[in-house]
Amino acid sequence: MFDLAFNNLNEILAMDGHGVYVWSVYSIAISIIVASFLIAKNKIKGVKRKIKIKNAPS
Amino acid sequence: MISAFIHKFSSPKSFVKITKTLYPFLIFIGLSMLIVGWVWGLLFAPQDAVQGNSYRIIFLHVPAVIYAELIYFFMALCALMHLVWRVKLAAYLIKSAAPIGAMITFIGLFSGSVWGIPTWGTWWQWDARITSTLILFIMYLGILTLHGSFSNLEKSDRLMSILVVIGVVNIPIIKKSVDWWSTLHQPASISVSGGSSIDPSMLYPLLISIIGLGFTLISLGILSSRSYILGREKNKKWVSEYV
Repeated sequence: MFDLAFNNLNEILAMDGHGVYVWSVYSIAISIIVASFLIAKNKIKGVKRKIKIKNAPS
Repeated sequence: MISAFIHKFSSPKSFVKITKTLYPFLIFIGLSMLIVGWVWGLLFAPQDAVQGNSYRIIFLHVPAVIYAELIYFFMALCALMHLVWRVKLAAYLIKSAAPIGAMITFIGLFSGSVWGIPTWGTWWQWDARITSTLILFIMYLGILTLHGSFSNLEKSDRLMSILVVIGVVNIPIIKKSVDWWSTLHQPASISVSGGSSIDPSMLYPLLISIIGLGFTLISLGILSSRSYILGREKNKKWVSEYV
């Protein structure tokens, strides 16, 4: 069960012609998920900054 | 009694504090399981006898569509809490979960489409399951649009909750679509009640990916709800103290 299903890196990338589908799906999905985290973190920063400015003694 | 209990444990303040403590653990479990599940599935699981290597998309596609439905189900529960007991936090959570639902439904549709090219010879088919999942994606976008279209936020919360409850009819349709209609999409390969039609060498990495993506999405939900709650409650004293 824990043997590599492929012999070398080229086989991993090619996946018998299906590599283009498999790798593009995973890379796009991972990019979308990573971007969602970055956007969410940025939003928290933005909201906190706004609240701090609003509460700052003028 | 129930109402008092719910309100005690649904204060936005304690929600933000508790989830902040939980976040590092959840994101660690989520990402590490996702990496283990995907590396196992992509590199170590054996090739499928019928589909060859294209089947490896399953380790992304199946977890994604599971959460596409589960997030909606979660939102429906929140909508009931909001409509019946007027729990504010429930509405905040719907608003924070909907973009994540839309995102993961998109990934589910997209990965299914690409999987269809080598397997079915087509990237799109107006088949019952695919169409009902597309409707789910549109529901998520509709919920967000509806919430954004009123200046009175309390009214937005209520109307959004009503729409979420109405849209829940779509969930059993998606689930049962492969059994009710003859479709191109294959029926479920794994089953909670046992009798999965998939070999353990493929099932284990799939289950690990499912759990891993679950924790990852909960972590994303924590971040997304934190910014929304802070923004909504910006005039409250606890928020000024928190930031």
